[in-house]
Amino acid sequence: MTSPATGEVSAARLPLVSVRGLKVAYGDGPLVLDGVDLDLFPGELVALLGSSGSGKSTLMKCLTGFAPIDAGQVRVSGYDLTNLRRGQLRTVRASVGQVFQQFNLVGRLSVLTNVLTGALHDAGPINLSGRFTSAHRKHALERLDRVGIAHKATEQARTLSGGQQQRVAIARALMQRPQLILADEPVASLDPRMSHSVMDLLHEIAREDGIPVLVSLHELPLALAHSDRIVGLRHGEVLVCAPTHDLDAAGLDLLYARDDEDGDRDDDHVA
Amino acid sequence: MTTTSPDRPRQVPGRAPRRSGPVVQPQLDPRERERLESAFRVPRARFLLGVPMALVLLVWSFVGAEFDFLKLGEGAVNMGDFLSRMFPPTWDKLDVIVELLVETLQMAIVGTVLGAVLSLVVAFGASSNIAPRWLYYPTRWVMNVIRSLPDLVFALMFVSAVGLGPFAGILAMTIGSIGSIGKVFAEAMEAVDTGPVTAIQAAGASRRQVVQYGVLPQAGPLLVSYTLLLFEGNVRGATILGMVGAGGIGLELTTAMKMYDYGHLSAIVICIIVLVTLIDQASAIIRKRIT
Repeated sequence: MTSPATGEVSAARLPLVSVRGLKVAYGDGPLVLDGVDLDLFPGELVALLGSSGSGKSTLMKCLTGFAPIDAGQVRVSGYDLTNLRRGQLRTVRASVGQVFQQFNLVGRLSVLTNVLTGALHDAGPINLSGRFTSAHRKHALERLDRVGIAHKATEQARTLSGGQQQRVAIARALMQRPQLILADEPVASLDPRMSHSVMDLLHEIAREDGIPVLVSLHELPLALAHSDRIVGLRHGEVLVCAPTHDLDAAGLDLLYARDDEDGDRDDDHVA
Repeated sequence: MTTTSPDRPRQVPGRAPRRSGPVVQPQLDPRERERLESAFRVPRARFLLGVPMALVLLVWSFVGAEFDFLKLGEGAVNMGDFLSRMFPPTWDKLDVIVELLVETLQMAIVGTVLGAVLSLVVAFGASSNIAPRWLYYPTRWVMNVIRSLPDLVFALMFVSAVGLGPFAGILAMTIGSIGSIGKVFAEAMEAVDTGPVTAIQAAGASRRQVVQYGVLPQAGPLLVSYTLLLFEGNVRGATILGMVGAGGIGLELTTAMKMYDYGHLSAIVICIIVLVTLIDQASAIIRKRIT
């Protein structure tokens, strides 16, 4: 049988992320997410598509407790996000590596220090001097090797190009030894060549580390070229959910069909 | 291809024709467009009302403050007389001046370091992006109270508490700086880019770690810059605090004035000008380097 949340024949693997009937509204506004079901499995890169205001960012925020959950269930690596005990939220966040559109590096700090901030959750409570252990430093340099910019380790992050900064951000996410990576429009600020190389890197991480990588994208060709599965949102509902090789650009057009006034109103409520 | 609901009945029947028709785009009001296009704009009502009100306020203040051009003219003559008596400066007590200037400088250094450290601590409580609400409002209120009192009042308080001398001056400067730069420190920390802060939070960092790695590195140059400004201000301030006996060169300055020792007075003033100028220049160079 076909599962509604995965679009594929039910796998033997257990999902690392499982979302059921998720509903979110900001304040008294309309529902930004309206009953979303989604499973993410280890080792797959899932592209999240949808026009602006369709709820992509909100869905990602829900997975790390940055958005309020009004109804439904969200489970991330064994934790129920609607029912966390005190202190567990930090543990969940530490296990989820995040990559952002604007890279979000601390520009004045060195590339190495930026990567090291990914290890803050296990740096211990007393770290006032800002000193990380040499094991942390070694680990961070290995992450930089992997994304291919270890030679820039001592430079200020702000001096790097956009593509390089995004690689540093990915190294920072890897520094967390993540069980899941969320990338919210990671290539929207990059040129096409850079976009492909960053997407290649993310896909490679998903396969080699055996973790799910959820990437929200605006460009269909990128999604079709670099993902294992595509999830399409429209007005806060999952409209498409299928393996990438079963889809083509024409079939995804319905995600971007012209909106009536409802669409405009939704836009206002999603940052 | 699998879709959960390929054709949702979302459309309200009455609205259906709009979807098939041409796209209706929001339009700029034609009258507003005309106004924006013309080179000469008819001033808005709030402008026509605001300018006369500001003028009335200004005139009212001039009258209230007894501003008088005639008196200014007469005063200029006296002023010239005063200035002419200040020349030539007498340098025979230069050693006293230098000693007191060094004391002033020392006061400013200690007052600035203590003030900056205390202000930073207080500023954490006064930054809306760091402190919880229950701490934010009381901290802001305390800073406002401190700021509304002149440093001279604190100096008088501390002179009566710990006696005459530079220690009272240092305490006054330290407390005073919480009101002045505590606020700008807090604002510098509130103004940091939220992106990196979110990213560090998302990595599971604690509140303190977020401040240490996300907020302080971004606000750092501004904090240093404001601290240098505080130091410049404290050097000038220390000369004034001396007038109420809180150490520094101020006491010597007022004494020289009361004793009609104009040569000595002008030597003191020249030395203060040289010191303040040197410090202003040096801190301007440092501030340029770090930002």
